[in-house]
Amino acid sequence: MDYRQWFQDIIEEHKGIFFKIARTYCLDEIDRQDLTQEMMIQVWQALPKYNQSAKISTWLYRIALNVAISFYRKGSTQKSKNVPLDKQVFHIQEEHVPHKEEQINLLEQFIGELKEFDKALIILYLEDKSHAEIAEILGISVTNVSTKVSRIKEHLKLKFSKHSNF
Amino acid sequence: MEDLKQIWQSYHQKLEDGLAINKQQTEEISTLKAQSFINSMKSIKIFTIIIGILWVLMVDYIVFHLSVYAFHVSIFFLVSAGIQSLITKIAIGVYVYQMYLIYNVDISHPIIKTQEQITRLQASTLWVTRILFLQLPFWTTFYWGDYVFQNISIFMVQISITAIFTYISVWLFLNIKKENKDKKWFLLIFKGKEWTPLLNAMKTLEQIENFKAEKN
Repeated sequence: MDYRQWFQDIIEEHKGIFFKIARTYCLDEIDRQDLTQEMMIQVWQALPKYNQSAKISTWLYRIALNVAISFYRKGSTQKSKNVPLDKQVFHIQEEHVPHKEEQINLLEQFIGELKEFDKALIILYLEDKSHAEIAEILGISVTNVSTKVSRIKEHLKLKFSKHSNF
Repeated sequence: MEDLKQIWQSYHQKLEDGLAINKQQTEEISTLKAQSFINSMKSIKIFTIIIGILWVLMVDYIVFHLSVYAFHVSIFFLVSAGIQSLITKIAIGVYVYQMYLIYNVDISHPIIKTQEQITRLQASTLWVTRILFLQLPFWTTFYWGDYVFQNISIFMVQISITAIFTYISVWLFLNIKKENKDKKWFLLIFKGKEWTPLLNAMKTLEQIENFKAEKN
């Protein structure tokens, strides 16, 4: 099997997973590029062990979230003031950057304030994953997922309602 | 909340449409030219183990040769150096065990299982610190000789110093634990960015315990 080609195809097809998780866990652009690169390295190194017992997206979410949560613990390591374009894993063309509505700004801000595991859970929820798939990625029971999703939704609703009162 | 799901998805869909991958970077990764921070953690541990083994070999060599060939060498030096070497060997053993655990972590396993493994591994570094603090009193006894017992003042000073260091080392051995992570003295010992992953690992362990519990 040509692992290199397979790796390139997986990254291309599922780039959104890495991009969204890196955006949620890292506010700093330099750290975000480091984090994305680390995710890619871990996917590449784990690829020969992928045995198709889980869906490829489930497998990728596990790696990306595990790396993101471990990366947060390591603390910031800003190596340079900016990352040259040719060293960036992802790049968004200027003309494609959408206008940010206030609600998405607030949602990102409120998610950013959540604890690391709650953050993982709500990203999966917003990505429209079923409770069973969320449970498989996180390694907790489906009942636990339902309880936690309701609690975090309530928490976010409260945050939004408090904000709109001001 | 369903609206928020839509907002999230439509905004990120637009971002994804403009997302370009740097093929040169992903090709470098697949030829393993890029450096992984997890691998760099392994390198630090291997480096520490090598330095530790060299140190122990040197101390053992000195202790062995002095005990066999030097008849007038102080028994305090031999015992102190021997115990220091033994404590260092235990610490190296913990490091080797950690390396075994690191190689067995599978980053593609479910988040809670993997994070629990990694954080327990990081938090176990506390054990190495606790064990190494037990060496403290032996740094105050290796230079003892007959002169200490021939003068009461010197003897009192030396015994006081050793008693204080023994108390501190035993106290630290018993009190350096997760439960004290927020105490001022604890944060003073573990001050500095090299300890950040350890302190964060202890916080994450607490988060994992709470997250696993179904009642919220």
